[in-house]
Amino acid sequence: MTSLSLKRLAVIALPMAALAGMMTSAQAQEWTPSKSIEFVAPANPGGGWDTLVRTMSRVLQQEGLADRNFAAINVPGGGGAVAWAQIARDSGNPHKLFATSPPMILVPLAGASRYDHTDFTPVARINTDYSIILVAADSEYQDLNDLFAALKENPRLSVGGGSAPGSMDHISVAGLASAAGLEASSVNYIPFSGGGDAMTNLMGGHIEAVITGAGESVGQLGEGSQLRALGVSAEERLGGALADVPTYQEQGIDYTFDIWRGVMGTPDMPEEAVTYYEDLFAEMLETDAWRQASDQLGWIDAYQNSEEFGAFLDEQQEQFSSVLSDLGLLRQ
Amino acid sequence: MDALNNLMYGFGIALEPINIAYVFAGVFAGTIIGMLPGLGPISALALMIPITFAMEPSSGLILMAGVYYGAIFGGSTSSILLNAPGVAGTVATSFDGYPMAKKGLAGKALAIAAYSSFVGGTVSVVFLMLVAPLLSKVAVSFGPAEYFALMVLGLTAVVSLSDKSLVKGLIAAVVGVMISIVGIDMQTGTERFTFGSINLLDGIDFLVVALGIFALAEVFYMLLRGGGGKEAPRNAIGSLKLTRSEVKEIAGPVSRSSVLGFFTGVLPGAGATIGSFLGYSMEKRIAKDGHTFGQGNIKGVAAPEAANNAACTGSFVPLLTLGVPGSGTTAVLLGALLVMGVTPGPMMLEQRPDVFWGVVASMYIGNIFLLVLNLPLIPLIAKILDLPKPLLLSLILIFCMIGVYGMSFSVFDLLLLLGFGLLGLGMRLFGFPAAPLILALILGNIMEESMRRALQISGGDWMTFVDKPISLSLLLIALLSLGLPLLKKRRKRAIAE
Repeated sequence: MTSLSLKRLAVIALPMAALAGMMTSAQAQEWTPSKSIEFVAPANPGGGWDTLVRTMSRVLQQEGLADRNFAAINVPGGGGAVAWAQIARDSGNPHKLFATSPPMILVPLAGASRYDHTDFTPVARINTDYSIILVAADSEYQDLNDLFAALKENPRLSVGGGSAPGSMDHISVAGLASAAGLEASSVNYIPFSGGGDAMTNLMGGHIEAVITGAGESVGQLGEGSQLRALGVSAEERLGGALADVPTYQEQGIDYTFDIWRGVMGTPDMPEEAVTYYEDLFAEMLETDAWRQASDQLGWIDAYQNSEEFGAFLDEQQEQFSSVLSDLGLLRQ
Repeated sequence: MDALNNLMYGFGIALEPINIAYVFAGVFAGTIIGMLPGLGPISALALMIPITFAMEPSSGLILMAGVYYGAIFGGSTSSILLNAPGVAGTVATSFDGYPMAKKGLAGKALAIAAYSSFVGGTVSVVFLMLVAPLLSKVAVSFGPAEYFALMVLGLTAVVSLSDKSLVKGLIAAVVGVMISIVGIDMQTGTERFTFGSINLLDGIDFLVVALGIFALAEVFYMLLRGGGGKEAPRNAIGSLKLTRSEVKEIAGPVSRSSVLGFFTGVLPGAGATIGSFLGYSMEKRIAKDGHTFGQGNIKGVAAPEAANNAACTGSFVPLLTLGVPGSGTTAVLLGALLVMGVTPGPMMLEQRPDVFWGVVASMYIGNIFLLVLNLPLIPLIAKILDLPKPLLLSLILIFCMIGVYGMSFSVFDLLLLLGFGLLGLGMRLFGFPAAPLILALILGNIMEESMRRALQISGGDWMTFVDKPISLSLLLIALLSLGLPLLKKRRKRAIAE
């Protein structure tokens, strides 16, 4: 008897439960992560992507904004291509994000990655940094024009950067050179394994100059430093420790270069997850902890939501491919 | 005197009860991590970043540094007992440590490793304290050309590591360089020898090769010899005590390797692994009984152990004084420091002396902890050798597989491990030495990258390698170390005739 009534109950309860389930899922359009989020920096620790990933993870945790922990993971290699290839296999996974910036466009254009930005889901653009040109503190070059005059005279002088040929630092300096009246491809660009590696070599006098991210260079500049900055690629001077560094335009070279940074997700990431993350990041940008970190690192907020960011990436691809083909580096 | 004052100040920080607890926790966790193959200090430290970011920066770095040098300290255990290096820096320790264990001298080998590590660690902290600011100049004086020369010098060790046949040693070294080339080329972004496989894009991890060629090959070899092989002798551990003459014998190698290791560590990119190989091959050349290296010579355990611990401390020089990480592990430490709001670099000594001197002082304490912690553990851990052979072999097998899988979570890497195990077995059966392959694998990549960078800077002019004094002297030393043994041999032959 009991068993029968139980069965009956079950018969009634089942559809009820299903209904209840449907209702909660309808109400809770809001998706939330069910485990920690793998936040991939497609490079070694210490670089721009890594700093973004670790700073965001820290601020999110400090401010208690996210339901789950953001775990920073480094997947270095191939200027990002190794990480992209791994993430591309993880289609639809809502618990995996990665930091991105111009190499996401440049590396595929140079033919060094099977995957480009259209293979992934744009989540949000976060902020922007700029390129900075550094020389040794005791260098004879006082401004950019000195440096480029010397480069014109002796094209063998080497400029180091932290990424592969045809990638961000190279494009940035090649574009600058052509704006300064030199043959863009004449710059003897030496790729190092990272901005830090390039700066060590500059300190030791092994190369003439370095181009790297302004944020990455902050710790190396200032009083007692062995390095000196000649110019930044921003439209206006930056704040903080870099307030003394003139822009390219101030020195008569009409050229700017943005190192935008953003977050992308796995291919075909569910829409609810994208909405969750873009809102989360927008909220994060409003916090004091983020403000403080950005000031320290010389970042300027430049938020865009998923849709805007996607359109922006398409624009950037068009722009970069025309620059690259001018330079003879387009390899598609 | 300044240094003494600073050190006192540092001890003031390091001796705070909470910091003593952190040192202890760090070195204890490090020892365990080091003993397990695969779980290296890099992944352990990356996992700790969220724990440390709320901590006082000096405490955070004290804890994390403890894990790092603790892991190098503990890594020798599995190298000696199982021929399965726990961390890359202790591969060279297995060359003589494992033969000693097979002879029933495991206890002595582990004790020597502990003492040598202690001396290497302590000597190098003294160096770190006295000359760190000056040494940052040495670190930056190494450009691409100098690195190339250093790697060439390192590769000459192939001669001393190929025990019987030089030709076979060279063949093994070439294979090592070939393995190091696999993956995306950092200079151009081109894939090399990946055969279209996504799993090879990142190259082949050093530990996969080391565990395969040493530990797995050993397992296969023992299986091949069948059950007829003699059982491990009773009391396989042997005594921990060193005789006075043994202490005298290793005193020289330990002190030389401590200094050599420290300076290798100071150079960004060189680190503990290269330091230990250089220490080992240097001692093998100097020693009168050099030909017994590889058969269980105590100097062959002492030298690499002193060198790798010294190099580990040395790698803090570029990190703290330049803000530039010299290795994967110190890169994670740099990231952790940034997260804690400390920017290492030229200004750190002035701005955050508490972090710098606190960590330096804590390293003295940590090294003592490590010695006290490890010595009593030796008889316990070494008991593993008393296990019946079938159990021991399966244990090594499981150890290796967990280690490799834990690193990359990739089944492909397990297959690679198996492949390298078979390669190692083949090499053993046909008399090819494994050490040159490993050495070439470590050095090959840096050597190639540095050479191409140097040539690009010089505009393709090869004279760049001899124009620079550091590079020229390193290349000359390399030439000497190649030429002298050959000359000696010829003279011997001439006398014999």
